[in-house]
Amino acid sequence: MSDIVLDGWPARRRRIASVIRRDFFALRRDPPRMVDMAFWPTAELVLWGLVSMYMQQNQVHIAVAMLLGAVLLWQVMHRSQGEVAFGFLFDVWSRNLLNVFVSPLSTMEYVGGLVLASVVKVTATIGVMAALAFTFYGFGVFTIGPGLVPFMAVLMVMGWALGVVAIACVIRFGQSAQIVAFIMVFVFQPFAAVFYPLSVLPPAAQAVAALVPASHVFEGMRGVLAGGGVAWDRLAVAALLDLVYIAGALGLLLYSLRYARLKGKLSRFGS
Amino acid sequence: MTVLEAVSLTKRFGPVTAVDGVSFSVGEGEIVGLLGPNGAGKTTTLHMILGLTTPDSGTIRMFGRDLAAHRTWALSRVNFAASYASLPWVLRVDELLDVFAHMYGLRNPRRQVTQLMELLDLGELRDRRYGQLSSGQQTRVQLAKSLLNEPGLLVLDEPTANLDPDVGDRMRELLLREAHRTGRAMLITSHNMPEVERMCSRIHFVSGGRIVATGSAAELAGAYGVDDLEAVFLRVARG
Repeated sequence: MSDIVLDGWPARRRRIASVIRRDFFALRRDPPRMVDMAFWPTAELVLWGLVSMYMQQNQVHIAVAMLLGAVLLWQVMHRSQGEVAFGFLFDVWSRNLLNVFVSPLSTMEYVGGLVLASVVKVTATIGVMAALAFTFYGFGVFTIGPGLVPFMAVLMVMGWALGVVAIACVIRFGQSAQIVAFIMVFVFQPFAAVFYPLSVLPPAAQAVAALVPASHVFEGMRGVLAGGGVAWDRLAVAALLDLVYIAGALGLLLYSLRYARLKGKLSRFGS
Repeated sequence: MTVLEAVSLTKRFGPVTAVDGVSFSVGEGEIVGLLGPNGAGKTTTLHMILGLTTPDSGTIRMFGRDLAAHRTWALSRVNFAASYASLPWVLRVDELLDVFAHMYGLRNPRRQVTQLMELLDLGELRDRRYGQLSSGQQTRVQLAKSLLNEPGLLVLDEPTANLDPDVGDRMRELLLREAHRTGRAMLITSHNMPEVERMCSRIHFVSGGRIVATGSAAELAGAYGVDDLEAVFLRVARG
């Protein structure tokens, strides 16, 4: 048997690839999921594009850039969270989780595979949205300047962290907790100050927002679009917060798995 | 060589003791059956062996190494199939096997998938989605998945529960042939007594979370003074 099974990092890479391959095979065979990937972001883009054009016509000159930039970046976080969480839920819904957990795939490899698959899908979705924003509203995503890539990176990592928290909740509390995967990102949306400046929030909410990585990104984006430079100090704070979020999310996942193994809850995902 | 050694496994769920000090071993090439009524603790025992459930006490060693400390190493040498564990319905047969060949870190996934599709006569089904297959065909795919890594230990939880007698018989034949060819050890639970009699060289009867009798089918029948394993089962199940 040792002849046919790899060891060490080559085996690890192959196991991570298994999660990515599973995700894309499933996507290829699931047209409604493909529609879901493209439809909702596009619908949101069209809606906010029309709103911003109306505001532009009423002399709010940077409305298009502000709103469409916000919509695009919001989708980076929203989709990252969703793709990671729904990649896991796919295994729950198809009663495949037992096969995954009795394989040599480690928890970190599994999460790594879900994250890498989400990067590809989110990049594709955002690429399509950016092209539509440019075609229909003349908004070029590169207007956001050199901060664009780090802004997106911070939002992706926060999305992954929220996705991992959703997975941890389902493992800890069972399949009925899957609602968390649908709503988690929206719990953070008001504090992320996606469509309005942080100053609009009441002081207590501003204090909470300061602990949300996304709020620093959206505030930074507005600063750039208003003619200022990239607030690298804000970005650094957001990156540090991201580290805390991802470490906390992985810690929660490991705790949930340990709890589920102790209570025999993983076995129930097969029934 | 001892492939699996379970020592004093105990698992409680609240006030219920599902598994109570179970100890047994499986040697290389040996086919061992765990029998017992519903709720006896068979599946909980298997799930502890597979790392799905953590025992409250006791140890599990696979191929000489502690499972808790060498989980990835051990599980890459084991595989599993059960009537209740499904596979993703939207994936095609060849895609499913490809995914699991990668998941088990195979050196040459494509070659192994091709060989197993030939062995289990899955060539004609390769382009079909798993959800479109009959129960018998799905079981063949699950068995192919469970043989991908040429496991030293194959754990089967009621593997032929959903199959008609003809397909069930073919699956048993195939498993036995492969076990003899490769020297593979198997640990099986089943409620099909003729199946257990035919396949298992050693049987552990489990009741109330404990092993209450051990031996070959003939030894057990002799010890209980009955004709066959089914009669032993009824004796054990009814106290």
